[in-house]
Amino acid sequence: MKACLDFNDILAIGRPEIEQMQRIGDSYASPDVPGACEAFTRQVRIVEGIVVHTYGVAATLAKKGDELGEVAEVWSRMSFFCQSALHVLIRLKDKYPYCGTPALYDLVLDYKLACDKRFKNASEELACQKTQFPKGLLPELK
Amino acid sequence: MSEDPISEGAVTRVEIAELASLFDRFEFAFDPRSTAAKEAESEFEGGVKRLFDERVTPKHPDVSFAVFHCRVRSSCRAYLKKNAP
Repeated sequence: MKACLDFNDILAIGRPEIEQMQRIGDSYASPDVPGACEAFTRQVRIVEGIVVHTYGVAATLAKKGDELGEVAEVWSRMSFFCQSALHVLIRLKDKYPYCGTPALYDLVLDYKLACDKRFKNASEELACQKTQFPKGLLPELK
Repeated sequence: MSEDPISEGAVTRVEIAELASLFDRFEFAFDPRSTAAKEAESEFEGGVKRLFDERVTPKHPDVSFAVFHCRVRSSCRAYLKKNAP
């Protein structure tokens, strides 16, 4: 089988798990309800795995990218994915303070900031290509 | 006198290879929070600053650090693509 997935497909696989985290979080009145923290913690771990794995896919795609615009696009999409998880977590980390939520919030925030930095740097490199630069200062690699 | 277009004072291929190795270890790290990635980035930034101060500023005062930094990063990307396993 030689089916191919693009990055949008990978992101689409993860999105339902973020939505599921919100559903589980909202379905209990408080984390003290029997089973609430266990159910929520389980979903927090799933989302953590997805964010970490998807970031690894983004890094691999960015490394293989032929064009800087393509690289910037990968990091922009990954940042948006992290932002969608943060949007859910920012509210639930207060509701479920002992169910792994604050730790996941910190992790996703750090990953989002890493994406933003890589997006900014790739965009700057793209702009730099249009500026004058002395020939011979850096070795010719092509 | 050498006919090599990469003359005295320019950044060499070996130096780009070393910077590219560091660049690879933080830019494409699967865990951007890892100590290894942070150390590689710190070493990379120090290396770029040193090259700028020692090789670029004296001969090319019109080149800003921001532009040199951008170009080195792009060179590292190109090096890694060219030397992909």
